[in-house]
Amino acid sequence: MVERYLAPTTLDEALKALAAGDATIVAGGTDVMPQSQAGRFKLGRTLVNIRRVAGLQGGAKEGDEIRLGALTTISQLREDAFIAKTLPVLAEAADHFASVQIRNMGTLGGNIGNASPAGDTLVPLLVLDAVVELRSAKGMRRLRLDEFFTGPGKTKRTPDELITNIFVPAPKPGFVARFAKFGTRPALDISAVSVGIAGIVKDGKISNVRVAYGAVAPTPVRGRAAEAALEGKTLDAATLAAAAKAAQGEVKPISDRRATAWYRREMIHNLVKKVLADVAHG
Amino acid sequence: MTVVAKSSLIGKRIPKMDAPEKAAGKTRYVQDINLPGQLIGKILRTDRVHARIVSIDTAAAKALPGVYAVLTAADIPKRGLGVNKDNPPLKGDKVRTIRDEIAAVAAETEEIALEALKLIKVVYEDLPILADPRQSTQPGAPVIQDAKPDNIAMTFDYAHGDVAQGEKESDVVVESEFYLHYVTHCCMGVSGIIADFEPTSGNLTLYSNTQVPFLHKREFSEVLGMDPGRIRIIQPPIGGGFGSKLDIYPFEPIAVYLAKAARRPVKLVFTREEEFLASPTRQPALCRLRSGAKKDGTLTFRAVDILLDNGGYTSWGATIPFVMMQTFSSLYRVPHCLFHTKAVYSNNPYAGSFRGYGNLQATFTVEQHMDMLAEKLGLDPLAIRMKNAQESGEVTGQGMVFTSCGFKECLTTAASRSDFARKFTDYAQQQSKPGNKKRGIGLAAMIHVGGGAKIYPSDGCGTILKMDDFGHVTIMTGASEIGQGSETVLAQLVCEELGLPLDAVSVVNNDTEVTPWDVGVHASRTTFIAGNSAIGAARKAKDKILNAAAKVTNMTADQLEMRGGFVVRAADGEMVMPLPKLLRSLHFSDKAELVMTTHYYEPSSVHQDKKFMGNVSATYAWAAQICEIEVDTDTGIVTLEKVTAAHDVGRVLNRMGLEGQIEGGIVMGQGYALTEDLMVRQGKVLNPGFRDYKLVTAPEIPEMDISFIESMDGEGPQGAKGVGEAPAICMAAAIANAIHNATGVRLTRLPFSPENVYRALVTAKGGVVE
Repeated sequence: MVERYLAPTTLDEALKALAAGDATIVAGGTDVMPQSQAGRFKLGRTLVNIRRVAGLQGGAKEGDEIRLGALTTISQLREDAFIAKTLPVLAEAADHFASVQIRNMGTLGGNIGNASPAGDTLVPLLVLDAVVELRSAKGMRRLRLDEFFTGPGKTKRTPDELITNIFVPAPKPGFVARFAKFGTRPALDISAVSVGIAGIVKDGKISNVRVAYGAVAPTPVRGRAAEAALEGKTLDAATLAAAAKAAQGEVKPISDRRATAWYRREMIHNLVKKVLADVAHG
Repeated sequence: MTVVAKSSLIGKRIPKMDAPEKAAGKTRYVQDINLPGQLIGKILRTDRVHARIVSIDTAAAKALPGVYAVLTAADIPKRGLGVNKDNPPLKGDKVRTIRDEIAAVAAETEEIALEALKLIKVVYEDLPILADPRQSTQPGAPVIQDAKPDNIAMTFDYAHGDVAQGEKESDVVVESEFYLHYVTHCCMGVSGIIADFEPTSGNLTLYSNTQVPFLHKREFSEVLGMDPGRIRIIQPPIGGGFGSKLDIYPFEPIAVYLAKAARRPVKLVFTREEEFLASPTRQPALCRLRSGAKKDGTLTFRAVDILLDNGGYTSWGATIPFVMMQTFSSLYRVPHCLFHTKAVYSNNPYAGSFRGYGNLQATFTVEQHMDMLAEKLGLDPLAIRMKNAQESGEVTGQGMVFTSCGFKECLTTAASRSDFARKFTDYAQQQSKPGNKKRGIGLAAMIHVGGGAKIYPSDGCGTILKMDDFGHVTIMTGASEIGQGSETVLAQLVCEELGLPLDAVSVVNNDTEVTPWDVGVHASRTTFIAGNSAIGAARKAKDKILNAAAKVTNMTADQLEMRGGFVVRAADGEMVMPLPKLLRSLHFSDKAELVMTTHYYEPSSVHQDKKFMGNVSATYAWAAQICEIEVDTDTGIVTLEKVTAAHDVGRVLNRMGLEGQIEGGIVMGQGYALTEDLMVRQGKVLNPGFRDYKLVTAPEIPEMDISFIESMDGEGPQGAKGVGEAPAICMAAAIANAIHNATGVRLTRLPFSPENVYRALVTAKGGVVE
């Protein structure tokens, strides 16, 4: 039962509130509210609304990195000119994300913290080599996103920590990244599977390959076998087929009401092929 | 000389009278009504699929402060609801489905009521589950209802001709098994009721979302053991019906019993999850169909065997075979027809009435078979339909009489407007070409009752029409408004008779103490039946007015007319006197007369005999719909690109309202075919929410080209027919035919979800599926 509601305006106040213990962080509330009301998630005694905390909004280039504030909304990801120019794959993912109302409220940090295996920003962030910045009253640490998730709804964040920023390396020349989500609707659809692929394409060859999948494991995962099948290769038909086969072989999805495991593996195969074809044809 | 011009509202685009309030979010639904002293009712539903109830302990719930009543089956009379009376409002001996009501609470607040539910302890003894309707009639199957030890809730048999003879005459025969799945209505307004007893008289007022207030009143009186004269039903604006509110459901008498026990008004409104779990579904059906034709495409016979999954209880919806058989027997000329259906009990959620009432299922099978026969005979889909299509003047084997019939015009209009013949050939040729996007086009047609349906001894509707001293008309009609636009159409029809503008009319249609009897909003009957009733009342008022006007002028009544709020000379429109002046001269004179009339309209149709023979409707609606789709063979996603629809509507009354009905029905049919699926596994509902029960959303709605065929029905109000259900009926069949045109693969199981389509495509190519 919530006994206390806090709406800090500075990071220090927010971290102090978390340090006091038994607190639930709420930003957009698009996951916290429905989940707690459905009884799937128990609210702490203190509800900390971080929405007004200054300095955690928007994206900017900082040295070799791009910083994305955790309070950046999904709508901002979709509409922000800087993000559209530097990290268009995030804008693409945001364009397929839930509904307009949810995009207006939901935040990037929230999507990461919620740790859904089907979270729409997570697969693109994985192929962007994202790093999560966590702050607490005790200090700051950075964790690689591909080591951050531990299970559905579970991460390495400790209860006193707040996701403050996400950092991704600034794209190098020739860098491409694509995201494809399987769904029957243009939006408002929880994906049965999703695929992200990134790399540097030069003279028809792809290197520094990153592949990631959504909704095929307890967390969003990197596709190491598909990456290996692609690394340094020319993007011809044989490579595409081999990578798609590798992807299909390495995912271990479950059957649930949204799809059977067999169909998910088939879709991973076909989506990887489709996304790679897009990359190959520029 | 002042001439009043003639004007008409018929065929115009008129926004619905209730649209401004709804669009502004100001409509007050049952959710918005709160009575003084009202308590909140909540129902405890079982989490078991099939179990004996060993004990229910309500002591702790009763002791909770703020709780005013806790009821179980032991506290209420043992009377069942529904057509088989097999559904007691609270279950005492055993539970048969996941949604079963076992206890109910009335409390000061919703929170207290929910807390009280948690304190009720139920001990069960689980029973074997009957989840597959095919097992229901197998030896040793668990018995669901003791009164029906064979698990058969209802059977329907119909025949004309001799199918064996028909088979002998056939050059080709096709046989298939079709499966149609569970879907539910998804009304935006969830179910709800408020029950309020007058403290001293004991009279009961119900604020109810029912579509059938007068039948409801009767069934309430039976289940409650109350004099029906002491029950009043007021219908607040209804947030969608689509057939879901044709039955009385357990929650309604439960609210009444709670109000009685607590001696306070009780409001009981579903959560969205409850709406998914505890409101009815469309009947899942397993249909085996065998059809034959001669070389020239002439149909020879049709043999139908259908298994309907009734679920644990029997709703009025179990009578859908009554409508299904009309499509099998009479959509086309079929000399020999044999039809058998069984609705069997299972431990699944129970099915009810749903827009189209069995016709979506029937049309899905018949219209795929028309394409399959055509393919075998080397005919095109349009040709085989035109060869067998009904025409005006036909009397079918079932005794249905087609007076006005625009069927062939529907077929040719839709075909030419969609360029069907060319596209059908082109797309079929492109099936084997490379590429993962395949386009297809598919045709389906339908018949549905369009002049009421005499399934009760009466199919009538009463109207009281009252004019005030200022020329304003109040129409009191038995026909309910459930969003279909009946208020506006009734007002238009009355305006047409009385020469009044629309704003001179108001409609009262929601209070059984005021409005005259009507059988209910179903069977696409309101425009036709209530419309004719309203016209009758208006004509009586007009006679009265013109006769009175004749007396004060030196003209006869037939030389006079009503236009624009005036009595005018019929010959040239010359104004004789303003209508209000005439009304006052009648009212405030030694004549002391009010213009107030009543009319009861009963259509010419007949109640069918025990063999289901007879002309059940005064007229019939016809339609042809053509769907263009694209199949992504890499994912199985079917995108509906365009729908070309041609509907025989008799006559267009409100063009905007009609377009709305057709468009809405098309989208409902699209959802049925492609996205909606209430997943029931081992009696459990896996997706009771909009996240995983996928309604069609705005971006997926296809381009539509809608034509109206005006066949000017002789008995219809201004020539119109009922079309409320028609637009949803063809869609799944047309999409199935389009998928076949695109891919060469015939899909006989709904829904055409991406995975189901993908599996079928892989299997057809000889691939392995897991």
